[in-house]
Amino acid sequence: METVIRGLILYVFLMIIFRVSGKRTLYEATVFDFVLLLIIAETAEQALVGEDQSMTNSFVLIVTLLLADISLSLLKQKFNYFGKVLDGVPVIILDDGKLLHDRLKKVRVDEADIMESARALQGLQRLDQIKYAILEKDGKITIIPKEQEQKEIEKV
Amino acid sequence: MKKHRGELDIDEDIELESANWKIQRVAWVLMALVVIAALLGFTGDGGIGNFQTLKAGDSAEGLEVEYERFLRRGAPAEIKVKLKPSASDTLTDLHLSKEFHEKLEVDKVVPEPSEVYATEKGITYRFASANQPFAVTFYLTPNGMGSMPLHFSTSEKKVAITQFIYP
Repeated sequence: METVIRGLILYVFLMIIFRVSGKRTLYEATVFDFVLLLIIAETAEQALVGEDQSMTNSFVLIVTLLLADISLSLLKQKFNYFGKVLDGVPVIILDDGKLLHDRLKKVRVDEADIMESARALQGLQRLDQIKYAILEKDGKITIIPKEQEQKEIEKV
Repeated sequence: MKKHRGELDIDEDIELESANWKIQRVAWVLMALVVIAALLGFTGDGGIGNFQTLKAGDSAEGLEVEYERFLRRGAPAEIKVKLKPSASDTLTDLHLSKEFHEKLEVDKVVPEPSEVYATEKGITYRFASANQPFAVTFYLTPNGMGSMPLHFSTSEKKVAITQFIYP
């Protein structure tokens, strides 16, 4: 019984804490973000398992966590707004070639981050080649280039 | 799906997102408060300046208990009891209420008591002493949760403390 409660409490706690930390926190931008994620995983393990190292405990825990995740995804599917609150929504941060500075500040993203995605995803060289940049739910930045750029990319 | 500028299919909800940003800022302040509270010892271990390490009773009157206000379940804890030897007997009795062995696991008692016996009301430790004041340290592991009132008593004096055990 205790395992199930531990699992559910930790599930909810982690969900809330990562939600309020913001999309870009721990988004694997640097090696250090990745290391921090590993440390957090290690710390959470203690709270999950406690002193009970039995196999039964692990099995119950895994089933509990997966079931919590499945139930939540069903709820999200049924109630659209609930999903939006829980996962957040995509945010346009570069609109029709113009940077939206107030939003950039709120989501803690800068031009360099946008250019990084532009290079990686579209092979763009300059900020003015971008039409839209969108910060997605998972913290990634997706890029839509201006139309003439798109044609050039397609030609190549 | 909404359309942005008539061309971009995107489920943007900037009102929800701004509300979310506000909540995030509040949450960051709360996170800072949690860290400060932990540093000040509100999650156990005494904290900076040992504010949460408390004393009850008076060693001059024969019984003083030094304890931490906050404990954590499963984390090692200590309670130090200063005793004056009993005038009438070679052995000194220390009686503890039953919450003591219900919510705490006693790992070690230093010095070891010469006798321990349990009654309906609690548990009694008898210590042999060299006829001068001495201190007993209980090394404990809490296995209960929540508020825990404890009563310590000798033949002459009673001391009541309350500790809180976090999950």
